[in-house]
Parts: sequence; structure tokens; C-alpha cells
Amino acid sequence: MPNLTLKQRLYQRYWQLISRYLDKRQPPADKVRLVQKLIFILPTRYGWWFVLLIALLYLLGTNYQNNLILLLCYLLLSVFLVNIVLAYQNMSGLTLQCQQAAEGFAGTDTTVTVNLSSDKKHFMLNMNFVRHNETVLLSQPATTASLNLTGTKRGKYTLPRIKITSQYPFGLWRAWSYVALAQPYWVYPAPDADKSAVNVAATDSSQQAKTDAGETLAPYRAGDSVRHMVWKRLARDPTNPVVRQQHFSAQAEPSWIVVPALSGDALERALRYACQQLLQLEQSGSSYGLKLPALTLPQAKGPQHLQRCLQELALC
Amino acid sequence: MLTQQMQKQKQLLLSWAAIQFSLLLLLQQAFAGWVIAIFALLLLYRLLSVFKAKAGISLKLVNLLAGIIAITFFLQLRQAGVLHFMLQILLLAATARLLALQHLYEARQLVWVHYFLIACCFILHQDMLIALFILLVFAVNLYSHYRLFSPPVSRLNWLQAGRSILIILPLWLAIFLLFPRLPPFWQIPNANIASTGLSDTLDPGSIEQLVQDDSLAFRVEFTDTLPPRQQLYWRARLYEDFDGRRWQVNALRQNASRQRAPDNAAASKDSSLSYRIIAEASQQTGLFALATPVTSSSNVFISPSGLLSSNKPVSQRLSYQVSSSLTPVVLVSEQEQQLNLRVPPGNPHTQQFAYQLKQQYPQSHELVQALAEHFRQQPFYYSLTPPTLGSNSIDAFLFDSRTGFCSHYASASAVILRHAGIAARVVGGYQGGNWHPQQGYLAVRQREAHAWVEYLHNGVWQPFDPTAAVAPDRILDSLDSALPEDERALLDPGWRQLVLLQNLRQQLMHLDYYWSVWVLGFNDNSQRQLWRTLYRHLPAMAYSAAVLFSIIIVVLLYLRLTQSGTDNTPQATKQLYRYLGKALATKPLSLSVSAFLLQCAKRYPAHDAYLKQLTALYEQALYKEDTEALNQLKQLLKCHKAELGRLRRAIKNT
Repeated sequence: MPNLTLKQRLYQRYWQLISRYLDKRQPPADKVRLVQKLIFILPTRYGWWFVLLIALLYLLGTNYQNNLILLLCYLLLSVFLVNIVLAYQNMSGLTLQCQQAAEGFAGTDTTVTVNLSSDKKHFMLNMNFVRHNETVLLSQPATTASLNLTGTKRGKYTLPRIKITSQYPFGLWRAWSYVALAQPYWVYPAPDADKSAVNVAATDSSQQAKTDAGETLAPYRAGDSVRHMVWKRLARDPTNPVVRQQHFSAQAEPSWIVVPALSGDALERALRYACQQLLQLEQSGSSYGLKLPALTLPQAKGPQHLQRCLQELALC
Repeated sequence: MLTQQMQKQKQLLLSWAAIQFSLLLLLQQAFAGWVIAIFALLLLYRLLSVFKAKAGISLKLVNLLAGIIAITFFLQLRQAGVLHFMLQILLLAATARLLALQHLYEARQLVWVHYFLIACCFILHQDMLIALFILLVFAVNLYSHYRLFSPPVSRLNWLQAGRSILIILPLWLAIFLLFPRLPPFWQIPNANIASTGLSDTLDPGSIEQLVQDDSLAFRVEFTDTLPPRQQLYWRARLYEDFDGRRWQVNALRQNASRQRAPDNAAASKDSSLSYRIIAEASQQTGLFALATPVTSSSNVFISPSGLLSSNKPVSQRLSYQVSSSLTPVVLVSEQEQQLNLRVPPGNPHTQQFAYQLKQQYPQSHELVQALAEHFRQQPFYYSLTPPTLGSNSIDAFLFDSRTGFCSHYASASAVILRHAGIAARVVGGYQGGNWHPQQGYLAVRQREAHAWVEYLHNGVWQPFDPTAAVAPDRILDSLDSALPEDERALLDPGWRQLVLLQNLRQQLMHLDYYWSVWVLGFNDNSQRQLWRTLYRHLPAMAYSAAVLFSIIIVVLLYLRLTQSGTDNTPQATKQLYRYLGKALATKPLSLSVSAFLLQCAKRYPAHDAYLKQLTALYEQALYKEDTEALNQLKQLLKCHKAELGRLRRAIKNT
């Protein structure tokens, strides 16, 4: 990453250190209860201003030899100190749990629902995923919190650490904790109806010579399997490589969604199209199966089947 | 949600406006009239805009306005003094912030400045009641601080607040008592406030004005016993320059007051008197002592002429320890004697009278006796409202009006003595005081202000009080008893004569005394003493702490043990046994509780439905650990006590 500034690089380095430390301190777990060793407390910026106020009042009280100003100063000091305990109490005992793996399509927000439980009341909790800007504020005791993650690439990921902070009650101390929940989240390929992306040849198949039933020829694109290359044609016309492609369409094989063995950009496009088809079929209520280069899922229907299929697409 | 936010914002804006109003009131003596008017206008405008639900003024306009006002404050800096300037600027900053406030998070700075201003109020006010009021303002500010960071609708959690206070209070006191106290780091600007009490000049009328003031001047605690009233002459000022009309403190004295007198080791120990004085704020350096002060605590100085002073004007209550030798003050230098022999021109009758006396009584103390006798026997009157005197004021007083107050008598006596060749000066101070035996202190108020004479005899300044000759009651009892009935009313405005109010005032004054001794007067000395006491009782405290600790541990262990014994029975079973214990006692061991209940249901068809319902709930609560069912079970048991009673009786009878 050459185009990062020094500050960003240092920040990254810092995060590496921190996460190594945190992984040792709190390895990902199904259910995390915030206890003393997980809660960090430091003064906020306003807290430092408050310290300055206390110092100024001490100077004022000492210079005027005024006991009442000193008393006020010490009162503020004890309020400041007791706030450590209060900030801690507002965090401790909160249990976080993520029962279901979150799922979403690439490029859109994935909503992660975190269940909160506690025998105390917690106020003004701020939650966000580490290195994600979007925060959720729970001003009142709540049982669930919905956090958004934006996934750009399909796949199965482990949840990033959840940063949960609170400045309650006086904004003088920030108590925070990084919670790692052992739960994956899925980013499925974004559904895309652009059929031509998968098979350009299908539209102009009439002009192209059909080599076999259900097969068409298409110009080679990066990522197409070399095994499907029409070598004879390549010898004739080396500048325009042509690949043999299976001809698949909803009409021909209505209940089988086939993702050909491709790679790179072509595979992504095929997966996006397959995703679109899966969603359409599920919506229309027919049963469908999924054929991937590596595995085949038998025909079925229902949300669980859809989820399974989508997950396979994400992992493909 | 939005309306709640609005509601909260309105509430907070109102409370901040209220805080600023009270700050304005509290700091009013630091501000000129027009400054107060400006602040009041700004605040009123803000209040109006809050009630009409308008937004604050734009930041640009507020900055412009605040800038202009700040410049005018700066131009008045010379008049106001640095401290007042600082207070003005701080309050201006707070008010401007409040005017331009758009979002709640901007209010953090406002709250911060409020804290500082509230603390500054204590520079000007240390009375207990006002201090309580300031603390109230502080509490409001603290609450608004809390509201800034709390959810918009939440109520104050009293339980949590109470617990926090329980932690804060001992912590606070411990810090106050034990945190090291340092001397002032640097000289600080003082407030330009008119001084109270005796001034550097003594007009014929100045003491009359002072005695109508009922406010406290200082309080005294005596280490041993209270000396007799006739000895309680609290010296504060020496008036040595007389211009024929008014007495003035000599310029030399004003400069010399910083010098510390050499410790008079010669002072005999048996006649010395040790006492502590808590002086009220007077904005003057002059302090009070009896006769010849020998030693004092380090915060005050003893000048060679036996006067006490602090190194800066007393702007807040000051507590100091003195021990005095009850002997007259010694002559310091030849110069001092010369200073007190000068007489102004005029007053020919007085001069003549002095010469006559001198010829009759060559000894100075005999002459003074004769003078006292003269005042006693001739028709002299003691009055708060003497007639005005002409240019030869002493002549007019001695031979014409013969009516006057202590300053008239002192002034006339000093002039006579000087004409007779005896060095004499007028001493200003206080005489007597109000003894409160239960609280053990002497309260000296401004109305006890007094003036008397000191004359040189055998190298020491002998005190002589002509007032004692004219109105002995003034010295032995109080001013009230020395004055005629109609003049007493001058001292007491109507409300002060109500007995109930008088009592209340007394009680408040006593409270105020403890306040000033324990809170205001707490200094590094008292802290060191506290440390020493703590150190002395350290073993005892350690033992008692250990005993207490072990008792707590034993009790906790006991509770643990007894709890673990009974904890095995589930809640639902406990509930059943609570209501049906006697009936269940007949249950054979082999039967489970629910089986027994079902058996009962079969045997007593009258209770069949009830028992079945009970059993169903019981099983659900026990085996499914359903808290809802447990609650329903409790309800069912509680609401059908009559039926349960009948059931119990039925089981018992079979």
C-alpha cells in the first residue's frame, strides 16, 4: 500500500498491535459479558478540561486562602473520581450475543443484530464496528442493537470487533470495550439481471455456428476456462480467441442454476446473475437446484435452501 | 422524540439562565450598575426567546456584541480592578454562549465557565447562608451537566445518585481534611470594595454612624476564662494627628505597621492572656488585640505600638491566635512622645482649663483622675445625637453643649492632656462584646465601636476612658443601657425588636460561628493538629477497624453457610410450603408434592379446580423454570387465602 500517508500507516500498525493484544485478552466468543478486564476507562477531552478546572480552582483557593473555593474544588475532584466507578457501572454486566449470522449482498448494508441482555440498566451506549464509522446510540436500555456493515466483496467473514463506548453520566470519562463475537457474516454476490454478462453469445447464437446442442461459441474474455477454448479456431484466427460455452437459459433448464467453471471477472458476473436467478425462482415459488463447478445442491425450495445456495455462491 | 429533545433543551436553557441571574446577583458588588443592566438585558432577551421558542441569535452578531462589551469593560479596567474585570469577562463569555447556543453539545463550555464563576462567588461571599445558596446554584449546574450527557427522557436515578453521594461525601471530606494546604503562590488582585469598620480618620460623628451598624466585627475565643468587661478594650487604631476637628492616623504609623516588634520576652507570663480572634472581612489591614500583644500566629504582625495588622486587606474571614500581656503599651521612641504633644491652634477655653488643672495637679495620673472627676460631677451627657459644634469644637463641647458620644469625650480629654503637657492620643477600637457562654465565644459587633485615650506616664501608655466616667453603664453593661430610652430605638429598627426573630438571628449567628471556625478557619495549623491526633489514635483506630472487619467477615460467612443450606429448595416449593406448610406436613415421604396435591383434589372435590390449577402452575414453575408461572402461582396463593384455610382444615380433620 504505497499511497497511504505516514499517519495512516502508523494507525494501521497501531491497530495490529491492539488487535493482537485484544485477541489474547478476549478471544472471540459466542456470548460476551462485559467484565472488569474487558472495560477500558480514560478521561474524555471534556474530562481533561475538567481536570484543568479543578487545578485552576485549587490555585484560586490557595491564592485567596479561601476554604470554600477549596471545598468546591475538592467536591469537583471527588465527583470526577467517583465518575470512574459510575462509568464502569454503566458498562459492566452487559452481555452481548449475536445469535444469527448476518447476511447481505455485496455493495449494500449488511445488518448485524446484536442481542443485549443485562440485569442492570445501561444508558447512552454507543456501538459501532471497529474501523466502521457508522455508530448506533442506545440512549435507553435496549434488548437489541442493529449495526450495519458494508461488504464490497462476496464471501464469508468473521464479525469485526464491536466497539461499545459510553460517557454516561457526566461525559468526563469514556468507558469502552472491544467485543469480538464468534459469528460469521455473509456477503452474497449482488444480484444482477444482466444476462449478457454471463453469456453474450446466447443472444447472437443464430449468427454463430452451433457446435453442439446447448453449446455456443463466444469470444474469449479474461477468466474463461482454457479448457473451453476452441483451439482450432485459435489457430485460424489468433487475434480473436473463441471459447465454447454451455448454453443455459431459464427456458432451457428452468430449475437448475448453473455456474460454469470460470474465474476472475467472468465468474463474478456469472455469480451475480445466478444470484438474481435464485432470488427470482424463490420468489416465484418453484423449486430449484444449484450446480457449481465443485458441487451440486439438489432441487428444493424455501428460505433455508435459498440461504444455503447463496452461501455457496458467496464461497464459490 | 424530537419534542422530548426540545423539552429538555428548553429546561436546560431556563436553568442556565437562572444560574446566570443568580451569578449576577451574587457578583453584583463586583459590577458597576450599567454592567448589571447590560447582563440583565441580555439574559431577559434570552429568556424571551426561550419562551417564544425562537432559536438563539446568530453567532456572528453575538460575537460582535460581546466584542464591543468586552472592549468597554477593558476601558473601565482601571476603575474595576483586575479581579472584577476577570469576573466581568467570564460572565460575558457565559452569557454570550447562552445567547448563541444552538446545539446542546456547545453547552459543555458554558457549564465549565459556570463552575468557575460559581467558585469565584466565594471570593466575595463567605456567609453561611449565602454559601448554601451558592452551593444550591452549583447543584443546579451539576444537574444540568448531568442532563447534557444523559438520555433525553430519563429521570434522575435516585438510588444511584444516593449511592454516589454516599461515596462522594467521605471522599470529599477526607480530601479537604488531609490534602496538603499550601501558602499562596503569588500576590493576587483584590476586589475594590469599600472597607468597613473604623477608618483612618475619626470625625466627631464617625463612631455614631458605626454603632448603628449591627453587623459583626470579630469573634473571640479565650483559651482560659473571660476577663472582666472593664478589661475588654480591643485596640485597633491610634489617632495621633489632630487638626482641630478630626483625628487622623499618623503617616508614620501607616508605614510602620509592617514591622514586626521584637518579642517581648520580658513580659510576665502570669498576666498574659491567650485568645483566638476570627475577624470578619473589613477590607482593611488593621486588626484587633487587647493591651500589649506579645505573640501571634504567623499570619498577622505585631507593630511596636502594640497594634495588629495583616499583610494584606482582610477580604475574607481571618482567624488568628494572639497572646497579650495585660500591661499598658510601652513608649517606643522619643519621636512618638513628641508626636503626641502637638496641639492645634484654637480652643482657648480648653487651653486655659488645662493650665488650671496642670497647676492644681502636677502629677499626670492625678490630673487624669481630676479630669474624670470633672466629667462625672459636671452635667455631662452621653448621647448618640449630639448637637453640631462650631469651629472651636472642643470648647463648644466642654463648656457649652456638654453632650456627646465617646469620640467627643476622648477627643476632648486628649486635647486637654496635651495642653497640660502630657503626651496623649486617641485610641479607636471596640469595647466589650456579647458573651455567648454555651458556644464559648465573645461576639464583638460594630456597635461596640469605641474611642478612648492613652496618656504617657512613666514611659508607658496608660489607658484612660472618659466615657467610663460619664456613662459607666456603657463599659460595664452595654451601649443600650447607657443610652436614654428614645435613643435606643435608633439602634434597633422595628423588626429587630421581635423576640422570635431575635432568637432566630441568635441561632443563625451561632451556626455562623461554627461555620467560620470549622469551615472557614480550617488552615494548615488545624490540619497539622488533625494529623497529630490521627497519629496518636492510630493504633486504636487500627484495632477497631480490625475488629469491625472481622465481625463483618464472620457475619458474611455465617450468612453464606446458612444460605447454602436452604438454597436447594426451589422458589416454587418454598411458596407452597409458606401457605400450605401444615397440610403438606401430612404428605407421605414417597409422594411428590404435585402428586399429593392431585390426590387431595380427588379427595376434596370442592377444591378440585383450584388445586389442579395450583399443581399445573407449580409444575410449570418448577420444571420449566418459568418465572411467569411462578408469579402467577404467588398471586394464586395470595388471593385465595380463604380457600386455602378451608382446605387446610379439611385435611386436618380427616
